[in-house]
Amino acid sequence: MAPFKAHSVLPGFNLALGFTLLYLSLLVLIPLSSLFFKTAILGWDGFWEVATGDRVLASLRVTFVASFAAAVLNAIFGLIVAWVLVRYTFPGKRIVDALVDLPFALPTAVAGITLAMLYAPNGWIGQYFAEHNIKIAYTPLGIVVALTFIGLPFVVRTVQPVLADVEVEIEEAAASLGASRWDVFRRVIFPSIYPALLTGFALAFARSIGEYGSVIFIAGNMPFISEIAPLLIVAKLEQYDYAGATAIALVMLIISFTLLLAINGLQWWSNRREIR
Amino acid sequence: MSITIQNLNKQFGNFTALNNINLEVNSGELLALLGPSGCGKTSLLRIIGGLDVQNSGKILFHGTDVEQRDARERNVGFVFQHYALFRHMTVFENVAFGLRVKPKKERHTETEIKRRVHELLQLVQLDWLADRYPAQLSGGQRQRIALARALAVEPQILLLDEPFGALDTKVRKELRRWLRRLHDELHITSVFVTHDQEEALEVADRIVVMNKGNIEQVGSPDDVYANPTSPFVYQFIGNVNLFHSRTHALWTQQPGDAVAYVRPHDIDISLIPQQSSLPAVVKQVRAIGSVVRLEAAIGQDGEVVEIELSRERFNITPVAVNDEIFIWPRQIKVFEA
Repeated sequence: MAPFKAHSVLPGFNLALGFTLLYLSLLVLIPLSSLFFKTAILGWDGFWEVATGDRVLASLRVTFVASFAAAVLNAIFGLIVAWVLVRYTFPGKRIVDALVDLPFALPTAVAGITLAMLYAPNGWIGQYFAEHNIKIAYTPLGIVVALTFIGLPFVVRTVQPVLADVEVEIEEAAASLGASRWDVFRRVIFPSIYPALLTGFALAFARSIGEYGSVIFIAGNMPFISEIAPLLIVAKLEQYDYAGATAIALVMLIISFTLLLAINGLQWWSNRREIR
Repeated sequence: MSITIQNLNKQFGNFTALNNINLEVNSGELLALLGPSGCGKTSLLRIIGGLDVQNSGKILFHGTDVEQRDARERNVGFVFQHYALFRHMTVFENVAFGLRVKPKKERHTETEIKRRVHELLQLVQLDWLADRYPAQLSGGQRQRIALARALAVEPQILLLDEPFGALDTKVRKELRRWLRRLHDELHITSVFVTHDQEEALEVADRIVVMNKGNIEQVGSPDDVYANPTSPFVYQFIGNVNLFHSRTHALWTQQPGDAVAYVRPHDIDISLIPQQSSLPAVVKQVRAIGSVVRLEAAIGQDGEVVEIELSRERFNITPVAVNDEIFIWPRQIKVFEA
């Protein structure tokens, strides 16, 4: 067996490891494990009953489907934004670059209220959709809009530095070998940024699953249609049904964890093929 | 395929990278563009390859104007200083890239691609690395792969931008000779850019010396070294001592302002005065391999002259620091100042 601690020129390994474990325990492990303990009060049958309730299942579906859709949208359009910010210079580029971070900083409730106003049937943007009988605010579509807003910076900020690393020379080399623009993107650029794009997608997706503040204002919160799981948790808490709330949370936790694990696995697999 | 360059101009903002360049690259020759950095040599190469666009002027391949053809359609192989290999592809896939992106009707079958790629990898003597990734190769190997990749599309012109610039001295020398041999086998019209005069002198059939967007001289390596037509070429290729007419009228032998250029190995020394010799004091003696390099001070202000003697010549007249000697030029070239 290899020794636990390899000799290193950097001192303080024990201290740093101890601190890391304590810090993670206090902030992540203990709160999360208390979820399990709290839920355990219900017993297996009670948990199963809450977790498979029609309303809960519907809300979980809304949450995960909307989050997935938003993450996909962000992956596509975030890539375009990152591309423009990396490859072109234009007046006001720095301002646009700063704007990307705004969803990070803005209170999500503010974002939710603003989006709801804009996309309501009589709102600035919503009115044009209303003409075609498309309702955005107060429907699942509204949830996707809010989540897309929230998740955008994750994709842009993960893809941007990697894209900046793809040398123009590589593209020139491909072009001189006879590759069309599409071939250059598909065969040269995309494979290089794909792991970063996947990371950005995963981050945006994970963020969307937990999002609450912005969604409740635009979703309309109709049970079985536009009610998200976090809202249901809050509803249970307001009724002092703590065990019920943690049960839903636990289900979300397990699903999110599995998905993130799968995405990480995918990333590991794609990285393995490319040794840097 | 020959390349003709006519009245080519390129500006970057206020900076003139290429100033009315006219040049003829003969079919099948290996031409070196030599000059200090910023002289426009890389710009010229990139414009030939279609990676940059000139402001005015024409480029003809075998008599045909190629202005309307972008890099993709010029059928030119381009080798970059930093290899520009595709990191996520194996060596095999890198070399196969040009074959795989061909339009459907021209594309070869998979077996044909495989055969061609292995043939090229054998040509660059790296067939055994086919399944590796670029990151696993040394710099010299990477550049050979980059060359194989460029050759895969059977280019009629090969352009190399400081191909050995990122390599260490030993590998660079090896690759130079290897490139020369490869060119002798393939006879593709090749243009390579370098700032290393030794490299240009050793590898090229002809050398184009460039300075500040202008062509200073075009000629064979011998010609450029032995008969520089301008002070710049004299100074850029090989070491040179300058003797101004104000202080050394004896050597310039020209009325008015003039500067005499003398290579260190064209100066001879003696312990007694000779015809048209100058007195000097030895300041430094250094034996470097097969030559001995002296530094001697002349005149009142102690101007330093570099002298290079073969070891045999030095042994006939061994001198030490602070010895008084007399120097005279065997060969001299005078330019008006």
